[in-house]
Amino acid sequence: MTTQLPPPPPSPPTQVNITIDGVKVVAKPGTMVLQAAMDAGIYIPYLCYYPGTKPFGACRMCVVKVEQPGPDGQLRPLPGSPASCTTPVAEGMVVKTNLPDIVDLRKGIMDLLLSEHPHGCLTCHRIELCGPADVCLRHVSVNDRCVTCPKNERCELKDTVRWLDIPMETPLTYNNRHLPLKVKDPFWDMDMNLCIVCGRCVRVCDEIRGDTALTFLNRAGKSLIGTSRGTSLLESGCEFCGACIDACPTGALVERDYKWDKANRTVVTTCPHCPVGCQMTLEVNKRNKVIRSIPLRQAEANRGQACFKGKFGLDFVNHKDRLKKPLVRVNNQLREASWDEALDYLAERLPKHKGKYALIASPRGINEEAYLAQKFARVVMATNNVDLSSNLRPELTAPLSEMLGHQAATNPIWELEQSKGFLVVSSNMTEEQNVVVLPIKKAARAGAALIVIDQRETELTRYASLWLRPRPGSETALVGGMLRVIVDESLADAQFVGDRTSGADALRAAVSAFDLAKVEAATGIPQAKFQDAARRFAKAKPAAILYALDTLPAAMRGDCVRALVSLALATGNVGKPSAGLYPLFTGANEQGGRDVGCLPDYLPGYRRVEDPAARAEVAKAWSAEVPSAKGVSLRDMATAIGDGRVSALHIIGDSANFSNGQLPGFMESLAKLDLLIVQDSFLTEVNRAAHVVLPTFTFAEKNGTYTNMERRVQLLRPAIGPKGEEEASWRVIYRIARRMEAEGFDHEDTVNIFEELKDLVPGYGGLSYARLQKGGVQWPCPSPDSSGTPVLHAAADRKFAFAPVKLEEPPAHSDAEYPLVLARGRVLLDPDGEMEVVDAGRRNAVRRDEVIEMHPDDARRMGVSAGDWLEVIGRGERFKGVARLTGPQRGMVAATALFGQLATQLDASRTADPMMDVPGLPLTAVRVEKASAPAVSADLAAAD
Amino acid sequence: MAADSETLRQQIRESIKTQKRPTVTVLSSLLAVQDSLGYLPDEAIEEVAAHSKATINEVWGVASFYTNFRFTPPAKHVVEVCWGPTCHLVGATGIIQGLLDEFKLSGEGDTPDGRVTLRYNTCLGACAQGPVMMVDHHLAGRVTPETARAKVKSLGDTNGHR
Repeated sequence: MTTQLPPPPPSPPTQVNITIDGVKVVAKPGTMVLQAAMDAGIYIPYLCYYPGTKPFGACRMCVVKVEQPGPDGQLRPLPGSPASCTTPVAEGMVVKTNLPDIVDLRKGIMDLLLSEHPHGCLTCHRIELCGPADVCLRHVSVNDRCVTCPKNERCELKDTVRWLDIPMETPLTYNNRHLPLKVKDPFWDMDMNLCIVCGRCVRVCDEIRGDTALTFLNRAGKSLIGTSRGTSLLESGCEFCGACIDACPTGALVERDYKWDKANRTVVTTCPHCPVGCQMTLEVNKRNKVIRSIPLRQAEANRGQACFKGKFGLDFVNHKDRLKKPLVRVNNQLREASWDEALDYLAERLPKHKGKYALIASPRGINEEAYLAQKFARVVMATNNVDLSSNLRPELTAPLSEMLGHQAATNPIWELEQSKGFLVVSSNMTEEQNVVVLPIKKAARAGAALIVIDQRETELTRYASLWLRPRPGSETALVGGMLRVIVDESLADAQFVGDRTSGADALRAAVSAFDLAKVEAATGIPQAKFQDAARRFAKAKPAAILYALDTLPAAMRGDCVRALVSLALATGNVGKPSAGLYPLFTGANEQGGRDVGCLPDYLPGYRRVEDPAARAEVAKAWSAEVPSAKGVSLRDMATAIGDGRVSALHIIGDSANFSNGQLPGFMESLAKLDLLIVQDSFLTEVNRAAHVVLPTFTFAEKNGTYTNMERRVQLLRPAIGPKGEEEASWRVIYRIARRMEAEGFDHEDTVNIFEELKDLVPGYGGLSYARLQKGGVQWPCPSPDSSGTPVLHAAADRKFAFAPVKLEEPPAHSDAEYPLVLARGRVLLDPDGEMEVVDAGRRNAVRRDEVIEMHPDDARRMGVSAGDWLEVIGRGERFKGVARLTGPQRGMVAATALFGQLATQLDASRTADPMMDVPGLPLTAVRVEKASAPAVSADLAAAD
Repeated sequence: MAADSETLRQQIRESIKTQKRPTVTVLSSLLAVQDSLGYLPDEAIEEVAAHSKATINEVWGVASFYTNFRFTPPAKHVVEVCWGPTCHLVGATGIIQGLLDEFKLSGEGDTPDGRVTLRYNTCLGACAQGPVMMVDHHLAGRVTPETARAKVKSLGDTNGHR
């Protein structure tokens, strides 16, 4: 017998023609038959297949018969019954999905699956008769009843069985596994009696999330899903994103909250927790409550992923403490009032504060609301005192506008998957812009160079090829040093520098200050190490830069961003796919708020307040005067209130930044105000000082648009209706303006406002609600026929200038009482640390000895040796831990917590919106003392 | 407790590091630890994970897949009885029953005093000698329930299999 090899194909085809059940289908090469069939609208049942993961072929539900042309052109059957999810399409392939023997085979396989899955919900003879009030008596045994499955009637397995039309008289005996349920981890319940071991959860956690917090246990018939040694998720590296729950086709993994509730409608909207702008399908029950959120797979911003905040942190919209009526201060007490009373109160007092009024809008506010708010402040109150309550770091974007001419991330989030290198500077993305981490982790696992500059240990440092921990405040010097290495070793992209920038000489001048020895002295990072970082970054093309600059002093951020922009320009990483710069701010709609001019120094469309021509344009559009003086920014608000420049403050929406100490003196300054107006959904610390509190919608009731960090304008659709007299925030402003008889406030709904604002914000010109219904669009989108701009600066229409940056010594830390700097980190996994998960009553808790990293020199000076117990004491914080002499810098100590500890806290929190209180990881001043070993672990005590 | 655990970790790290294989994998590391300790303690899962940049779950997935790994300290002696087809035909059932009675066990496993581990083996590769058993890696052929019991009675308190 001779084997004939097929002739080598001349060139790879761009499309493949196959026939599925007689239908001609065109697919891309490399597509699996199952996906090609689905794209063509042909259903093949499947259980283990999950979009975005690699072909797996475990459940065998998608078996088909396939014939493929041989070298002679004759159709030959592929052996056996291949699974269509692992069979790639090939030219001329003929697929039959519904031959009788295939249907029989599927039914047999399903019989086997059901022999280990409770299926009373399919076999009970009362299915058609049973009503919600009926009591199930002897029809089905207790463990197998439909009502004991949280996914009853929303179960993929059940739907598949019904589609297969199986007569449920199986000859197989049914075996219940009788395994105990796991219900003690945060947010999440696991019932392995319902698992069909399709492995979707394991593969999603590994391939998409990069966490591998779940695994297959044992093998063959005993195989199930679980964690190492059956431990809790708290120590298995789980980030509580809920991706496994979204993937689970049965009731094995479910959200604990509203576990048994059924949705009666679903609405797709945008998550209000961070600037990624995840599109979420909200499930709403008949009592008008949002019961679940499921990230949308088709959404370009998040591609079916979310995080602990979006998945488990949206319940605040249902909270019983939501404000339902306006409150007005009478005799120094907040009393419920009617809208008319509240509006009259304001209309009477507000005019007296013209020019001395300030407005702080919420980053959770929609674009329309932010636009109307700044218009109100500027037109009616004659002031530029407007800002966003999340805008603590305006320096992240200001240098971008100076050097590149825009104020946003240059590239889309998911392009990062194809990046070959990353520089991440002082960012805790896992907790603040979670989904952005996913493409980075994926690329890093595939070999991309990931350079992390951060004093703190974060999740990303685990994936880093190089983790640099410079002295606090020396990040700019480090970036400048890297740039200098790139210039000195001719690693810069000469062509890009020549064509698109002010040139190689300007670049050389920009880095002249960064003498390598001085950089080493300033940063405390050995030359060899940052040279290595520079070489790796320069050789990785394309490479992206992401920065939050959390730990930098405000005064140093601007220069650091300038250095980063220069680095991106020098390496030719601007205007190309999978490259660029990503400023990481925190507010969900901070980008949109800035775009529409909710800033003290910019009018809508980034027109500068000082520019008379820009003012004139806006004034013409509004038929009103626009004040010319720069407004008071959020960071200066306390001072401005103190010296009387601001006498009336209008706050829209609460923000953790008011009470978390990020704005020194702010809370105290509120008492000095003559008028404090708050529009909010809850009565918070800030509201208690208010003169008028106006109840407003949360994101779940809003109709409007958010702009995410990659400039994607996306819709919010109302999922639930109001519970009392609360109103949309834009309408509250509108009503105040109307009551004050102001001109230019005659909008009937958010569509009118959007139509008005898009004339003033050039990038939004081509957008409309109708268009956004089909999905988000990235600005600039100047006209209706533009499809938006994923990558900024792709066209070589201008030359960028390098900005010289000074080499500054990091600011000396001179605090006699607290001489050290503490860098707190948080990670998902701590494999080589001693830890124990203990059952603390209703929930699991982590018991773990904190490890305090200290520089050997500091330890020697203090007489500390490795393994000693230390106590860290700072302003308002103290904790004990074991010394480890691995600290990277003198004068600095580091302690890394476990994400599981935070997860238990969030789960147990009784505040309305716990995700707002996720503690950041700022650097703090501390002192360290020797201590004795604690008797009981602090964490455990807290959990009880 | 913490100090003991640290010593154990040292030992584990040592055996992971001193493997003489061209490619060190999760599996080879687990085998190396089991070779030196006789079992895989929790710390082994964590240390192998840290060493191979995997998560503890990935390592556990591998470890739990293979029935040859054990997760509790081994008994002092290992007694294996062949119950492959040949031995079965020539009387392995009786041998097994005899040993179960001797050890007061109801199946494979460790005796309560931690002296002996009894395991069934599907073939010890000496069918001509059947029925076959193995005591601390020493093969014995043509055993009867009585000779089998006699063999294990004489097992001392010293560690026999390493």
